[in-house]
Amino acid sequence: MEIADLTHHTSRRFNEDLEKVRNQVLQMGGFVEEQLHKAIAALVDGDSKLGELVATEDYKVNGMEVSIDEECSRILALRAPAAGDLRVIVAIIKTITDLERIGDEAEKIGHIALRLATMERPADKYREVKHLGRHVARMVHDALDAFARMDAKAALQTAREDRMVDEEYESIQRQCMTFMMEDPRQIRRALEIMWIVRALERIGDHAKNMCEYVVYMVYGKDIRHTSLEDVSRELEGPAEARR
Amino acid sequence: MAAVWTFALARLAGVLVLGLILGLFIGPVWVGVLVAFGLYVVWQLRNLYMLDRWLRLRSQLDPPGVGGIWGEVIAQVVRLHRRKQYHKQRLAQLFRELRRSTAALPDGVIMLGRHHEILWFNRRAANLLGLRRPSDVGLRIDNLIRAPEFVRYLKAADFAAPVVIRPPAATETYLSLQMVPYGAGQSLLLARDVTRERRLEAMRKDFVANASHELRTPLTVISGYLDTLAEDSGLDPAWTGPIRDMRSQARRMNAIIADLLELSRLEATEEEAGYEPIDVPAMLARLQRDGRARAQRRHEVTLELDANDGLYGAPQEIESAFTNLLDNALKYTPVDGRVQLRWRVDAGGAHFSVADNGIGIPAEHLPRLTERFYRVDSGRSRSQGGSGLGLAIVKHVLQRHGGRLEIESVEGKGSTFSCHFPAHRLCAASVRTDTVDAQPDRM
Repeated sequence: MEIADLTHHTSRRFNEDLEKVRNQVLQMGGFVEEQLHKAIAALVDGDSKLGELVATEDYKVNGMEVSIDEECSRILALRAPAAGDLRVIVAIIKTITDLERIGDEAEKIGHIALRLATMERPADKYREVKHLGRHVARMVHDALDAFARMDAKAALQTAREDRMVDEEYESIQRQCMTFMMEDPRQIRRALEIMWIVRALERIGDHAKNMCEYVVYMVYGKDIRHTSLEDVSRELEGPAEARR
Repeated sequence: MAAVWTFALARLAGVLVLGLILGLFIGPVWVGVLVAFGLYVVWQLRNLYMLDRWLRLRSQLDPPGVGGIWGEVIAQVVRLHRRKQYHKQRLAQLFRELRRSTAALPDGVIMLGRHHEILWFNRRAANLLGLRRPSDVGLRIDNLIRAPEFVRYLKAADFAAPVVIRPPAATETYLSLQMVPYGAGQSLLLARDVTRERRLEAMRKDFVANASHELRTPLTVISGYLDTLAEDSGLDPAWTGPIRDMRSQARRMNAIIADLLELSRLEATEEEAGYEPIDVPAMLARLQRDGRARAQRRHEVTLELDANDGLYGAPQEIESAFTNLLDNALKYTPVDGRVQLRWRVDAGGAHFSVADNGIGIPAEHLPRLTERFYRVDSGRSRSQGGSGLGLAIVKHVLQRHGGRLEIESVEGKGSTFSCHFPAHRLCAASVRTDTVDAQPDRM
């Protein structure tokens, strides 16, 4: 398979294996993305059936994670990859963990949406939550795109979005507190909403992690726990020192 | 051509003769000839060198001005080159126009290679699917379009119908994607925005459901008063006829609305029907009894059970579908006609058929028979009081059960309506008895 992204190997099989497992990761990502979209739709439209569906389908994500994990171990044991290929495998192993967690958070949102569907819906129809949900879903999508394209620049840009998600999260949190103080009868619902925005904020963090793995995969640089400004300054300089 | 060669040969002869004369005058003859011949070879080599140099640096140099055969060869090369240039330009122009026209297509077009890797795509496809040029060329399409429906579609490799996805980039839109395989493992992926069609379709369904629902209440009031009026003995006898007609039409309208609601309910649930065990033989026996009662011995209704197996599905839906088919057969079969119900099972699945020897249906109407309110001729069914929705309901019920409806008919001889169910819907008789035993109050 002549895929321009991956270095050409003397062993065609190796190339194919690597490409196949990458494809599996992206398919898992596609499924997780859809779970997230459905969970948000279940909440916003008050669709209890959809919420239940999301909650019951999460086992598929777990299954995909296990099978990709096994495939990665197999490649590590059989091919003993080095340099760039090793980084790809390491990044994949980390990425699927984060994807699986995103799936879990989506499942959580589905459960809560199921409960909220029976309650009265607020006048704003969860507008802020919907906006935050869209934003986070976009981040997950962009992170997966960056992974597919091996595009570190796009990954960095997406990772920067996380700060905005955090801000949105805080503002909804404050809003919920105001609601609770105004009307104690709202406390139950506001608490559920807090759980949801918390889950969305966590998904944003996981998307950011995935972006960091893309940078690691392409440049071989671990950028976790460093400020993104430093990273982009450093990476924009010696852009050619890739391989 | 020939002239040039004669001239060249003459020139060689002349050179040799000159060398001979020179040799005669100065020294040994062979020295003269050799010198002349050597000079001739040097001259030819020089021409050859100039030709070679020109061919190498053709773009910068003018063709060397040599005459004779060399001039002829150079002229040939120049002509050949010009012709090639001309064809190349025409081809490039054609290609440019082709690219411009595909770029202007209202639909997205993506060329995919053997492993579904992207080879080329037009601008519309880039907009619709968020592709980037040139970085995405060479990537597998399912790495970028990750919607599970699309991945399943690619894997199943059944490209008869398009698949509709919601691109994550713009969740409010619907995209219809269709693969068109061609050549050696390559394929075209066509992407079309079907948001508007989807919205219209949803609006239509909502409208039908709401309108039917809203019509029901006033109709109940009207039929209620008509019933009271019919029973009122103090009424002018002249009104008996009109009131009877009004009552029958109100009943018919009720039936139409019930069918419309049933149909919109079937349409609204997109997923497959459930898997409840259904005792089809018992159901058919019941249908036969009802049919006989309704026909009042004007028709002969027979039941032929070739199998004792049942189905897994939604019992009410299956019963409504079978009843509709039986009703149709009774309606369009004249007095003393025969209606035959048949239930059989083979390797392909289960089959239910209703055959009659009634008036039949002209062949040109068969394909449109399951459309809503489609009438073979307007006189025919209005008098029978059908809602015009029966076969549409049958079709939808079968679709939900993974089955299909087959209609055979000969005008004047009769019709056969067959329902085919796939094998995985089959519920073996033994299994069903167990379930019935376990829950005796269910059936």
